Amino acid sequence: MTALITADSSLPSGAIASATETRRIVYNDWISRWFVWASLVFGVVGMLVGVVVALQLAFWQANVPPLLTFGRLRPLHTNAAIFAFVGNMMFAGIYYSTQRLVKARLASDLLSKIHFWGWQLIIVAAAVTLPLGYTTGKEYAELEWPIDIAITLIWVVFAINFFWTLARRVEKHLYVAIWFYIATIITVAVLHIVNSFEIPVSGLKSYSIYGGAQDALVQWWYGHNAVAFFLTTPILGIMYYYLPKAAGRPVYSYRLSVIHFWSLIFVYIWAGPHHLLNTALPDWAQTLGMVFSVALWAPSWGGMLNGLLTLKGAWSQVRTDPILKFFAAAVTFYGMSTFEGPLLSIKPVNGLAHYTDWIIGHVHAGTLGWNGLMAAGMFYWMVPRLYGRELHSKKLADAHFWLATFGILLYVVAMWVSGITQGLMWRAVDETGALKYPNFVETVNAIRPMYWMRFTGGLMYLVGVLMMAYNLVATARAGKAVDGEARVVVPKVEPVESTWIEVLFGKPVLLITVVAVIAATMAVVNNEASIVFAGMAVTAAVLGTIAISLATQNAQVQWHRLLEGRALIFTVFVAIAVLAGGIAELIPTLLITPAQVNASAESKPYRPLELEGRDVYIREGCYTCHSQMIRTFTFEAKRYGEPSTMGESVYDHPFQWGSKRTGPDLAREGSKYPNLWHWRHMIDPRSVSAGSIMPPFPGLVTDTVDASRTADKMRALRSVGVPYAAAEIQGAAADEAEQGKAIVDNLRADGVPDANPQSELVALIAYLQHLGVHPSPAPGGAAVSLAK
Amino acid sequence: MSDDRHHVYDDIVEHDNKLPLWWQITLYGAILFGLVYWFGRRMEAIQSPAQAYSAEVAAQRAADAERARARGTIDDAMLATLSKDPALVARGKETFVTTCAPCHRPDGGGNIGPNLTDAYWLHGAKPTDLYRDVSEGIVAKGMPTWGPMLGDVKVQEVVAYVMVIENTNVAGGKAPQGELAVK
Repeated sequence: MTALITADSSLPSGAIASATETRRIVYNDWISRWFVWASLVFGVVGMLVGVVVALQLAFWQANVPPLLTFGRLRPLHTNAAIFAFVGNMMFAGIYYSTQRLVKARLASDLLSKIHFWGWQLIIVAAAVTLPLGYTTGKEYAELEWPIDIAITLIWVVFAINFFWTLARRVEKHLYVAIWFYIATIITVAVLHIVNSFEIPVSGLKSYSIYGGAQDALVQWWYGHNAVAFFLTTPILGIMYYYLPKAAGRPVYSYRLSVIHFWSLIFVYIWAGPHHLLNTALPDWAQTLGMVFSVALWAPSWGGMLNGLLTLKGAWSQVRTDPILKFFAAAVTFYGMSTFEGPLLSIKPVNGLAHYTDWIIGHVHAGTLGWNGLMAAGMFYWMVPRLYGRELHSKKLADAHFWLATFGILLYVVAMWVSGITQGLMWRAVDETGALKYPNFVETVNAIRPMYWMRFTGGLMYLVGVLMMAYNLVATARAGKAVDGEARVVVPKVEPVESTWIEVLFGKPVLLITVVAVIAATMAVVNNEASIVFAGMAVTAAVLGTIAISLATQNAQVQWHRLLEGRALIFTVFVAIAVLAGGIAELIPTLLITPAQVNASAESKPYRPLELEGRDVYIREGCYTCHSQMIRTFTFEAKRYGEPSTMGESVYDHPFQWGSKRTGPDLAREGSKYPNLWHWRHMIDPRSVSAGSIMPPFPGLVTDTVDASRTADKMRALRSVGVPYAAAEIQGAAADEAEQGKAIVDNLRADGVPDANPQSELVALIAYLQHLGVHPSPAPGGAAVSLAK
Repeated sequence: MSDDRHHVYDDIVEHDNKLPLWWQITLYGAILFGLVYWFGRRMEAIQSPAQAYSAEVAAQRAADAERARARGTIDDAMLATLSKDPALVARGKETFVTTCAPCHRPDGGGNIGPNLTDAYWLHGAKPTDLYRDVSEGIVAKGMPTWGPMLGDVKVQEVVAYVMVIENTNVAGGKAPQGELAVK
């Protein structure tokens, strides 16, 4: 029914051979070699920055303002670890395995080179711009608009190179690893493009076109699915190739692959709102995020099962082979964090864990445990093959394994203890209903030992990676670059297996379509039924795929098998599956108007100086430690004020709800403290808040705001819906001077004689004093305590 | 290759084992949970976070009212009595040092906020004025609303402590602000 493949010269019998020709393929393996080394270099850099930011939390003196503070380095760490380390590792693994799985050399050497150098340039651009403070202020999407465009272009190059290779394949049917690669390429493109819509102000400054809750939902749809489709699906694909290769064992279950693949990619997309539970996001969206996250448990574990059960019968090898140890531990960590994820998505559990270190621990169990150990296993397997030599030292790899595993355990346990401790302290009230720990700093001091423990765990992990780098370099130096080869037997006339109509209109497709249409109609007719729609659609999708797998019982070739022979149709179905959840969640949210959330009563566009202060806040990465979203809990209301509303952040482009509270929430910071408090606090946080771990920002006193660009910023924001009047934009500079002078006068009266009204610190104070203050009837009532 | 149970790709053999039952139960159970949860919300058997919050606020208001009734009215005489209780004042001092000191200095001599150890007051000198200022804050001046955070008992203790340090004129205190209180 399809091309016969042999990896060596043992050709099948003459009858078949007469209708076939033998072709020799030399794989493009230099591209994988390049990506391996790039991944290692940037992995070391990214993890080193991770260790530095961990140290900064334990020991605030490790902050070196202005460039090397936590707020600027943390995005560098996350971007480097995700997009540079895992990104390059993924490209190495995908290119190496895809060529062999489809029996075709990579389509274009030129595209491969552009892909490689383009991606490295993007990483270098990120490494330069992020410490300099050029950031969009959206987590894991901090890179500014020109870099966003470059990412899109390079991703398209990758996609062309990949799909072109598929088009030239000799092996007709696509193996499960390839399915996951397809899902990765399609979905990452969609996520990146939709989330990065921003309106440029200047060469390296832009504002998200979405604001407030809408931006929050788009951002976490992206953020959550970046985890899914950048850190999970490509690595699952890699697992499906390298794990059975290394173990020499058959993959456990094809039908499990089918079901967990489709359910995983379909369900993952809906789960994004679990990052916004108990916030001002509408409850229907929160509920979707929660139930779909719970539904994600089994699809995720399907991947874990297929990995672990493939090792069944190979456990004696696991004891001796470091590569299998890495894979077995990685898959186990994957299982652990994909159980923890659904657990954390249950609203009350999330109420305890959100904003705490528990989430940091959860993420690192996934990244260090799943991604990092998979990368190590893959490199240890691949580099000897890429250089035609045995691994330099198995013992060293073994030592790396144990160091990494204990490092992760230290890290994760520290974060569990820290997160749960702090979460419980935040909510603790005494018998009179008062907060037991009204001072936020008390709750920070309680967890500082855990920050040292985490630092130690992270450091151990980094040392392990350095050991691996040495081991791999030694291996490569002792060998020489070899490109893989294969001889494939290709039929002279490709037999027709099925028509595209049979595949496109197969029974499973029709079944899912009918159910989805009914469900969608229900949702549109009665929009409260959107959850039913969601539940029905997911059930339909899963039941549909189950039906497919049951069809295996029949003698005839089952529909999914036919689909695997049709790369284009397969890709289209993947696109539909991943778009469904995004459309169902984003469209209703993006249709919400400012009037519907009572915007005019609850918020007021920032005055020019406040806007400049907000840009300082974003530049310094304050959002990496401070949320601006008071959740619907009485213990939060006691500490921070009434729960935040959607209307309050409607003009926030980008939203600044945050995801972590290393410091307190700032949603109602306005007029809580006098200007003088903020002035001193920014210069030396410990002068007004003993025990604080916040970095000092003395540079803000002397650095000044460029009032000449404010009007451009306001114009850009007006184009995305912030209601600035033309007169306000024209008078921006004058208003800035006026508000700056008022704050400086107030500071002078309080004993600061020489504050500069144009200083960034004054602008930042103007911004902070605006937060959570509802518009007052009097014009210009930004509620700053100006007059004494 | 025609045997669909044994796919082979680049020497990787793919078996087609049955799905573990417990895994299937997890899969369908989670979907069922989602539907049940949704119906639970629609029937209002499960509260949304906002509804749960409102209910909790109502319960706490009732409890606060009950406590206020038990406590009786706060007046100058009552606060004056509290300030004579050394144990209570000591607890007030403890709260003061952790909560109020950043702005008023640990000894009350004033820093960002005014000196509390002189005889001058910006917002009234009566004990009930102090109680109001601590409890509700002075928003225009950046004095936070401490009532919800500290709770009524701690606010009373802090006020009692401030009544004790009033007019002790610690060394190096901030210059007087407001009006001289004649007592």
